[in-house]
Amino acid sequence: MPPRWALLLRRREILVTAVIVIVVAGSTAAHPYFWSSGNLAFIFADSVVITFLALGESFVMIGRGIDLSVGAIMGLSAIVVGFRIQNDGMSLLPAVLLGAAVGIVLGLGNGLLVGVVRLPPIIATLGTLSVYSGLEFVVTNGNQVDTIPSSITNLGSHTVLPGVPVILLLTVPFVLVSAWVLRYTTFGRSIYAVGDDAEAAYRAGIGVQRVLFLTYVISGLFAGLGGVAFLIYTSGASSTTGINDNLTAIAAAIIGGTALTGGVGGAFGALAGSVFLTVTLTAMSFAHVSDVWQPAGVGVLVLLAVVYDSRARAGGRRRSASRQRGVR
Amino acid sequence: MADHVERAGPVVRRGPGLHSVSGGDYEARGVSKSFGGVTVLHDVSVHFCRGEIHSLIGENGAGKSTLLKILAGMLTADYGELVLNGKLLSALSPREAQRSGVYLVPQEPRLMPDLSVAENLYLGALPKGRFSAVAWRQIIDTTEELITSVGLRADPRLPAGRLSLAQQQLLECARALSHGCGTIFFDEPTSPLTARDAERLFELMWQMRDQRLTLGFISHRLDEIEAVSDRITVLRDGAVVARAERGTWTRENLVTAMIGRKLTITRRTRRTAEPGTIMLDVDELVAPPEVNGMSVRVRAGEVVGLAGLVGSGRTEFAETVFGIRRPASGSVRVNGRDVTGASPRKCIDAGLIYLAEDRGRNGIFADVDIARNATSAIVGRLPRVAGPFVRTRKEQEIAQAAVLEMDVRASSIVAAIKTLSGGNQQKALLARWMLAKPLVAIFDEPTRGVDIGAKESIYSIIDTLAAAGLAALVISSELEELVRICDRVYTVYEGRVAGELAGDAVTLEALGQLAVGALWRRQGTRSRCLPPGASCTCHRGGPCCCAAARSW
Repeated sequence: MPPRWALLLRRREILVTAVIVIVVAGSTAAHPYFWSSGNLAFIFADSVVITFLALGESFVMIGRGIDLSVGAIMGLSAIVVGFRIQNDGMSLLPAVLLGAAVGIVLGLGNGLLVGVVRLPPIIATLGTLSVYSGLEFVVTNGNQVDTIPSSITNLGSHTVLPGVPVILLLTVPFVLVSAWVLRYTTFGRSIYAVGDDAEAAYRAGIGVQRVLFLTYVISGLFAGLGGVAFLIYTSGASSTTGINDNLTAIAAAIIGGTALTGGVGGAFGALAGSVFLTVTLTAMSFAHVSDVWQPAGVGVLVLLAVVYDSRARAGGRRRSASRQRGVR
Repeated sequence: MADHVERAGPVVRRGPGLHSVSGGDYEARGVSKSFGGVTVLHDVSVHFCRGEIHSLIGENGAGKSTLLKILAGMLTADYGELVLNGKLLSALSPREAQRSGVYLVPQEPRLMPDLSVAENLYLGALPKGRFSAVAWRQIIDTTEELITSVGLRADPRLPAGRLSLAQQQLLECARALSHGCGTIFFDEPTSPLTARDAERLFELMWQMRDQRLTLGFISHRLDEIEAVSDRITVLRDGAVVARAERGTWTRENLVTAMIGRKLTITRRTRRTAEPGTIMLDVDELVAPPEVNGMSVRVRAGEVVGLAGLVGSGRTEFAETVFGIRRPASGSVRVNGRDVTGASPRKCIDAGLIYLAEDRGRNGIFADVDIARNATSAIVGRLPRVAGPFVRTRKEQEIAQAAVLEMDVRASSIVAAIKTLSGGNQQKALLARWMLAKPLVAIFDEPTRGVDIGAKESIYSIIDTLAAAGLAALVISSELEELVRICDRVYTVYEGRVAGELAGDAVTLEALGQLAVGALWRRQGTRSRCLPPGASCTCHRGGPCCCAAARSW
C-alpha cells in the first residue's frame, strides 16, 4: 500500500494543484512581482471564463461525448447579453439569466442532435460550431459591444481579498454545485456510468439517451454563463469572441483529469485545469516567452496530460490482465 | 492489489436495508423469435420454478442465449408470452425485468470498469439519504456485506475493472441480489472461469436455490450440467426437443437429444484421389492465452476439419496461422516455406488464404461493389496501364469470371455487395480468395448465416477445389457439416488438439462423443481423446480410431 500522500496525488485535481503551486513558487522566485495581489487577481479572473466552459465540457466528456461548440455558445451569449446591457442598460441579474437562457437554447440544439437524432457528438457539435459562430456575425451585424458600465466590469477588476477578484467568488458556487451533482445525485452517477460503458448502463436501467441529452444542455448553460463572465472580465465582445476557446476548454478539462474515453473526471478538475493553464501561460510571459508560443505551449500540456492518462490506464489494465491470466 | 482482494467462503445472507426479494416462478409460453428471416426460436415453452436450478442445453445456435435474453428483457419475442408469478409481463426492458425481479448474469461480466465495486453493485437504484443525495456511507457499508455473502472479498471503493474475471462474475451475482432479484439466469457463466472458480459459483448457486430463488443456467459442459441441474430442457434448432428431471437422464440421451440429427446425413463426400504432399504444416503453435500448442497438417487435395466448442481457440489458431495474431512459439509452413508470424499479405503471396468467420466485420466491404470486393486480395497483381493505373475493364472481367465460377447470383457485378444475400456474399468472398490462387485455404465457419441451398453449393465448391488439389482446413461448429465434407477431423479443446478422426471413423456420434468427451480431460494428457478408463465408442470393437489416426 503506497503512503497516503501518494494516493492523494492520484486524484488529478490535487496533482494539478500541486503542480500549480510549484509553477507559482518557481515564477515568484524568478520574478517577485508574480506573487503580487494584482497579478494573482489577474490570473484568477483570466481563468474564470475557461472554468465555466471546462465545467460544462466535463459533464459532456464524462459521458463520453465532446462539445466543440462551447466557445461559440459563449461568444453568442456574450454578444446577445452585451448588446442588451449596452443598448438597454440591462442590469447584472437579468443579464445572467439571459446568458443562461441563450446557453440552454443553444445547448438544446446539441442535445437534440446527439441524444435524439443520435449523431456522433463530434460531428453534431462540429456542425453547431459552424452554425453558432456564423450566427455571431449575423447578430453583431458589423457592430461590437464595447461600452459595458463599470458597475458590471468592476466585478472583474475589484478584489474582495488581496488576490481574490469578486468574479472568482461568483464562480466557486457553480463549481461546488457541479461537484455535488456529479458525486451525489443519481443523474450525476448515471453520467459516469454511461461514459464508462453505455451498454452496461442501459442494462442497469439507465436512460442513456436522456442522460446524454442533458449533459449537452448543461454544457450550453455553463457556456452561456461563461459569456456573461467574459463581458464582466473583458468589458466587450465582438463577432469573433470565443473562437479560440473551444479547444482551450477541452484542454482544461483533459488536464483536470477528465478522460476523452468517458467515465472519469470531475468539477474540481475543471477548475484546477483552467487555473493551471492560465498560471502556466502567465509564467511563460514572465519568463519572456513570446506570446506566439502560447498556443503551442497549451498543445504540449494537453499532449502531456493525455500521455500521462493513457500510461496510467494501461498500467491499471495490465495489472488486471495479468491477474486474470494468473487465475487461468 | 492482492492485499485488498481476496475471497471469503460463500454464505448467502440478505444484506441490511434491501428491498424485499421479488421474482419467482417464471414461465415462457410459446415464445418465437427470428432475426432477419432466420428463425432462432420456434414456439418454445419453458417453466422455471422456485427453488430449482433449471438448465438449458443444446448445440451452438440452438437458441439458448436468445431465450434467456428474451426472458431478461434484452430482446423482444416476436410471439409468445412471459408469465412471472402468474402475471403477464409485456414490453419488457432490462429495467422492467430487474424491477420485476429478473436478472441475467451474462457470459462476460458487463461492469463499468472505472466505477467502484460499490457503485457497480447499486447502479440504477442508488440508495439516497438527505436532500436526495446518494448515501455513499450506507452504500459502502452494505456493499461490504453483500459481496462477502457471495464469497467476494474486495475493497468496495476499488474500480471494478481491477477485479479478476471470476470476481467480476461474483459481483454480477451480488448485483442480482442487491436489486432484490429472485429469478436469476446465468448465461454460460463458467466458460471464462477455471474449474475451481466454477466450483465456487456452483456452491453459490446451490445456496441461492436453498433460499428458494429461481435459477436458470446455460453451459456447454455436460458434466457441469449434470452436477448442478434439478431440471434440464434440451433445445435443438430453436425448439424444445426433450425435458428431464434430476435422475431421469443419462449422458447418452442428452447427447442424442442435443445432436439428434443422425438421420439427416445424406451424403458423405468420397474422395477418390489419394492426398498429395503436406501443404500446410503447423507445428506446436502457441499464442497465449487461446492457442496452447496446436499441431495440424493438411495435404494437397484433402479437406480437414477443426471441431470444437466456441471459445476452444479454433479461430484464434487460424488467425495466428494467417499472421493476424503474433505466435509466441511454434512454426507454420506452407508448401515447405516458413511463414511463421508473417503478415497476411505475405501469407497470401505464399499461397495461404483465410476466409474469416465474421463475414460482416472481417469479410466484405459492404458498400463497395462486388467486382472490387472480389479483386481486393489481388490488387497488387491486377493488370495495369502504366505503373500505378489499374485497367478497370480488365479488373471487371477477372472479377466476372471468378464470380461466375463460384455461382454468385447478382443482378450486376457493380452492385454493392451488401445487396446480396448472405449465401451469395459468402460465394463472392470465396471468389475473392480463389483469385489469389491459394495452395492452402482455411475456411472459418464457411456456411454461417447462409441458407440451405447456398450451403450445399458451398460444400460442392469446397469439394471441387479439393479435387483440384487445394489443401482445405474447415473450422465449423456444425458437426454435421464436418461429417459431410471432411476426410479427417481434429477436435480442439482449450487451444490444443484433443483428438483426431479419419476416414469412415468421422461420424456424428464419434464427433459428438469427442466434443463432449474432451471435456472430461481437463487435466488429462494431450495424446488421449478420452479420459482414462472411459471406453472409446468410436471403434466398434476394432482399434481406437483416435490412436489409428494419430499414427497416420
